[in-house]
Amino acid sequence: MHWKIRPRQLASVAILTGLALAIAACGSYGKGYPNSTFNNTTEFNTAIKSLWDTLLFWGTFVFILVEGILLYTVFRFRRRSDADEPQHVHGNTALEIGWTIAPAVILTFIAIPTVRTIFRTQARAVPNALQVEVVGHQWWWEFRYPQFTTRTPTGRVDTLVTANDLYLPIGRTVNFTLRTKDVIHSFWVPQLGGKRDLVSNHTNYLWFTPDTSLRTTVFNGSCNEYCGASHANMRFRTFVVTPTEFDGWVQHQLSPAAFAAAPPAPATPAPADTARAAGAPTRPASASPAPVPVTPAVAVAQQPTGYTFPMESLPDYASPDTPTPAGLSFPDNITGDAQRGAEQFARSACIGCHTIRGTVAASPIGPNLTHIATRSTIAAGIYPNDARHLRLWIKNARMMKPGVAMPTLGLGQRDPVTGATVSQSLGGLSDQQIADIVAYLQALR
Amino acid sequence: MSASPALDHIQAGPHGHHYTTTGLDSRKIAVWAFIGSECMLFASLISTYLIYKGRSVVGPFPHEACNPPVCATALKPILNIPVTSASTFVLLMSSLAMVLALAAVENRDLPKHSLGDRILGSSKLWLWMTCILGATFLGFQSYEFTSFVHEGLSIRTNLFGSSFFTLTGFHGAHVTAGVIWLGTLLAIDYKRGLGPDDAINVDIAALYWHFVDVVWIAIFTLVYLIK
Amino acid sequence: MATVAASPTYAGAESGEHTGLWSWLTTVDHKRIGVLYLYTSLFFFLFGGLEAVLIRAQLAGPNKHLVSAETFNQLFTMHGTTMIFLAVMPLSASFFNFLIPLQIGARDVAFPRLNAFSYWVYLFGGLFITLPIFFAAAPDGGWFGYAPLTTRQFSQGVNIDFWVLGLQILGISSLAAAFNFITTIINLRAPGMNLMRMPMFTWMSFVVQFLLVLAFPVITIALFFLQFDRFFGTNFYEIGAGGDPLLWQHLFWIFGHPEVYILILPAFGLVSEVLPTNSKKPLFGYPVMVYSGILIGFLGFGVWAHHMFSVGMGPIADTVFGLTTLLIAIPTGVKIFNWIFTMWGGSIRFTTAMKFAIGLVALFTIGGISGVSHASPPADLQQTDTYYIVAHFHYVLFGGSIMGIFAGIYHYFPKMFGRMMNEKLGSWHFWLNFIAMNLTFFPMHFSGMLGMPRRIYTYDAGQGWETFNLISSIGAFMLVVATAIFVWNFFRSKSSGPLAPDNPWDAATLEWSIPSPPPEYNFAEIPLVESRYPLWDLTHPERTSEIPHTHEGWSDQEKAADAKPVHIERDRRSAKELGIPMPLPTIKPLFVALGIVVMLSGLIFIHKEDKSAAAALIALGAMMIIGFLYAWVTSPLEPDHH
Ligand code: HEA
Ligand code: HEA
Ligand code: CUA
Ligand SMILES: [Cu+2]
Repeated sequence: MHWKIRPRQLASVAILTGLALAIAACGSYGKGYPNSTFNNTTEFNTAIKSLWDTLLFWGTFVFILVEGILLYTVFRFRRRSDADEPQHVHGNTALEIGWTIAPAVILTFIAIPTVRTIFRTQARAVPNALQVEVVGHQWWWEFRYPQFTTRTPTGRVDTLVTANDLYLPIGRTVNFTLRTKDVIHSFWVPQLGGKRDLVSNHTNYLWFTPDTSLRTTVFNGSCNEYCGASHANMRFRTFVVTPTEFDGWVQHQLSPAAFAAAPPAPATPAPADTARAAGAPTRPASASPAPVPVTPAVAVAQQPTGYTFPMESLPDYASPDTPTPAGLSFPDNITGDAQRGAEQFARSACIGCHTIRGTVAASPIGPNLTHIATRSTIAAGIYPNDARHLRLWIKNARMMKPGVAMPTLGLGQRDPVTGATVSQSLGGLSDQQIADIVAYLQALR
Repeated sequence: MSASPALDHIQAGPHGHHYTTTGLDSRKIAVWAFIGSECMLFASLISTYLIYKGRSVVGPFPHEACNPPVCATALKPILNIPVTSASTFVLLMSSLAMVLALAAVENRDLPKHSLGDRILGSSKLWLWMTCILGATFLGFQSYEFTSFVHEGLSIRTNLFGSSFFTLTGFHGAHVTAGVIWLGTLLAIDYKRGLGPDDAINVDIAALYWHFVDVVWIAIFTLVYLIK
Repeated sequence: MATVAASPTYAGAESGEHTGLWSWLTTVDHKRIGVLYLYTSLFFFLFGGLEAVLIRAQLAGPNKHLVSAETFNQLFTMHGTTMIFLAVMPLSASFFNFLIPLQIGARDVAFPRLNAFSYWVYLFGGLFITLPIFFAAAPDGGWFGYAPLTTRQFSQGVNIDFWVLGLQILGISSLAAAFNFITTIINLRAPGMNLMRMPMFTWMSFVVQFLLVLAFPVITIALFFLQFDRFFGTNFYEIGAGGDPLLWQHLFWIFGHPEVYILILPAFGLVSEVLPTNSKKPLFGYPVMVYSGILIGFLGFGVWAHHMFSVGMGPIADTVFGLTTLLIAIPTGVKIFNWIFTMWGGSIRFTTAMKFAIGLVALFTIGGISGVSHASPPADLQQTDTYYIVAHFHYVLFGGSIMGIFAGIYHYFPKMFGRMMNEKLGSWHFWLNFIAMNLTFFPMHFSGMLGMPRRIYTYDAGQGWETFNLISSIGAFMLVVATAIFVWNFFRSKSSGPLAPDNPWDAATLEWSIPSPPPEYNFAEIPLVESRYPLWDLTHPERTSEIPHTHEGWSDQEKAADAKPVHIERDRRSAKELGIPMPLPTIKPLFVALGIVVMLSGLIFIHKEDKSAAAALIALGAMMIIGFLYAWVTSPLEPDHH
């Protein structure tokens, strides 16, 4: 067998590949990369980017220099004949001093802006900053806004709490207080700045100011410290909105939950469009692939007004496409009833972990569901917040997300962790009951 | 029988055991390297103890008393400095005995003129002394451990308990290993007598023993004396 | 060479007692132990590579579910652990074993039986930590096993138990070997082989042994704490009791950063042998190469917290560790430039080994530069725990350590096995490997800086990462082809390559003055060394004329050592015929090693209802250790010649 090409000729392939990659590199600065770290979106990120530009400059310089000399040497001094006998230099002090000092000088150019940036970005946040407490959980994010509270009818003071959707006003410094309920996580919105870990038994801080040049938009965030089975599934969305929109959002989130005050009496289901007419933000029909007939919210007196990011304009990169597990399905032809769902919820395992302000559900273990219908995703950014996914989720969360603490609840479902089949006595829910609960959750605007 | 020592070794040189680069016995160099790594081992343990000092969420504590309501029951400072000073003294004396044992082995063949010479020249006596003093130290330590457990401090109680017992336990394990090592030397001494040819074996055991002793001085100072 | 009649079966196998399985189980010959290390670690390299390929298959596209989250987490944990502890470190150990005594003119290492023990501990420890993957119970805490995720509260299964105990076992092996090599290098150098004449590989290995001795005890303690927490309920990393996860991080990285220099310096050493030999020039700036190696090792202990810039250490600590980390670029740069200037003005022969060595210079530089970009703490906040870091460490580990080790394998294969490797296949291996390596790891710079976290088993579509990941995965599959060519070349050359002369590459150091493969006693006559390049003194005196030589400067002791001036060794007689005492083969180190593993396996069962299995294994292991250790220390090393 005769090989026509010699392995060395692969070198041209190597060079071409290199070029292609270099071109791709330049593209990194361009659009189309929704999680790019190269942005001037906050003063924090601007500082990092200018540091990065310095590093990239000197890195490229050293790279070209070293590889250039190396290639030249290798070509220039290749052996032409076995009789070649080179000159025998065994060292050169001047040269060696030179290449000790030159890198030292370059490193000084790197060190000075580095140290400056360290002290600038780790200074204290301005006192009037918006305070956000970030609490990491295996595997979801709790965001608390301690400056925004509301008093319940019973006189308790409730703080604005949400999960996996972070809202930030443009132009105001936000100071994050980072804590974890369990293992170490790491909070990161690549478009807005560097990351910071949430370390058990420690409190960390991070602050930045969304730049006034920004328009209302959404950025992806993720957990960046390996934290167990669903580390990859610990994502969140950051909505950067105008101050007015932010105030509207706060007002909305602080309003009582739907049904909270409604008597648990069989209410007459309201016409389908009452809720929409009330001016509440709507969910896009397109979010659920197969439109599922859902009984909408009962017309409750205090239907919230205010702002929620319009989910129909959620960009593609922020709408999750995670496939649902094979072997998990939910019949299309079941219609849920929100009122029944509310009662069912209050009787089920749900209240062991979740809070819905103003109801019996008041446990801090899982995400707060008071206004769950305003959220963009469920399960920490991995599924769209629509009826189909909510129903599958309640039916068998453990198949939907590895390691999740939420139990499998669908009657007859096999819990993939314990291997047990969910029965009536274990609090299993029928498909109808699940549909009811989902109708209720979708009414929690 | 030529009881080959614990650390068997090859030496350069074509015909037997003459030439080494440094002129030193290879076993001695190996033990020095070993001691280097032991330093890092104890440095890690001691640092951990110091880092965790004062960070236990429940008592008992090393130097501080703790009274209700902070603690469910009243707790007195748990470290017993007088007793530990005594045991420290014992361990220090064992190092002295070790020095004498080595000297006795090295000088076995010197003539002995007086009773004093004979006492100083008895390797068995001094090896026994070292072993006994080492064992006494271990006795003190087990007394300390049991009394701590009675006072409610176990390795699982709090950070202090975990880091204290682990640190002193590792040290105790090293002393135990040393006592066993010296025991084997004694056995050889009884079997065929230790002479200048075996001095290297005693020498490396002594090196180890002194090292363990020095570590204890550090522990005693940092854990017991400094509040 | 006419005298080399027999096919080069492994080292000194003239008499029947030196062949067969039993002879390998009982060998105490450093060369055969080196070969055992080589086979075992190459096997683990393929295993770790296979895990990597599965990782790349899963990540080739978005939302792929070839393997479950749990399996993926085991795969990357075991990939990292395997590559670092079971592949690269022991590949280096293979060269320590085979080469150090040959390079310094010694007959064996200082403690041959301890050396065998190190190998067996490594083998059993490696199997101990690897086998659980076949039962879906492999470690899954990441290669740096951050607490509290790895405590019993958050990792209840036996997975992490295997990791903790496995690393403890492997630590014993590394430490025992390090004591042995430190002693060997300090004490068994041939007369005249002073420190500034030692071959660069021996020098770099010497530095590595110190790093091992000083770094391993720290992870030993960190692991003891975790082990005690998991098995005995102590509180070191218990969150409820006030335990501090940063304690683990500090202890781990005080070990972990020196560890990365443990992984790279032997490769640097090998390359420093290959480059001068194939350029017909002495190493440029030998003394500076020595000092920079020492300096790298030294500074390596002061930079650990650069792995922790995101944990919130505060501005002062960030500054200190950022600056010390930047400093390391200086001595490393010196090495790079000295290598290039070793070739400059030379007559470069492109053997496969040479190509890999040049590949190291080219690729390690890239990894070094990205390393410097992590050393700037604020910049690192955008980089840490993303694929950008994964790109960095594969450039230094694959582009550095693995390329250097391949250079070493091609260069020393003739000496190890007495046959030449096929250069044409070698060339294919090199070029495919070089291209595929860049294809795999270069795009990771982009996916990382474009926001892709590491250690994720899946990612969503539309994040801008698809193309880069696909290219990486294609590259990984090309690496399989490249590696397969190497494996084929290795085994084919071993059985039927052309017989190797003593010094096929016209190299300058002592190991090339003796037959290939060397006889069991290495040197029939201990060489008396008078320069850094003894063989070139004989054949090309003009190459070394400027380098200091000793002509009569040996000490009395050295002169009395019964050594002969360096010469090409023609004697092919056996040790017995020459009257050289050889250490006796023994099985005892193997059983002591096995005893340790059996004993620690017992701990795995300690949380089971029925503790009798645990007790039985612990007792059995302890008995094996005590019994065989006793037999070991009371049996003579060499036949009694009194
Ligand atoms: C062989 C192993 C190896 C080597 C040699 C290195 C070498 C270096 N490493 Fe790397 N590193 C790893 C293996 C290695 N690393 C691994 C495995 C990790 C990840 C661990 C994990 O998280 O899993 C890691 C992670 C890591 C981090 C943490 C990143 C993070 O997690 O956020 C940092 C941060 O500073 C860093 C820096 C460096 C630096 C500055 C060097 C320097 O030594 C490099 C010096 C070399 C050069 C710079 C090139 C040559 C020099 C010149 C040509 C001179 C001129 C150059 C300049 C002036 C720039 N490394
Ligand atoms: C020396 C160390 C080393 C080496 C050589 C490699 C080699 C490779 N590694 Fe790496 N890697 C690490 C050390 C190393 N790695 C470490 C420390 C981590 C971090 C782990 C952690 O986060 O905890 C890591 C993590 C890591 C990740 C990130 C995982 C994650 O974060 O989720 C990825 C992803 O692509 C990857 C890919 C690869 C690939 C494709 C190779 C390729 O180079 C492999 C090439 C393949 C082969 C060489 C073998 C092919 C052969 C066969 C399949 C069998 C053929 C059989 C015969 C011929 C008989 N590695
Ligand atoms: Cu939380 Cu990773
Ligand atoms: Cu490092």
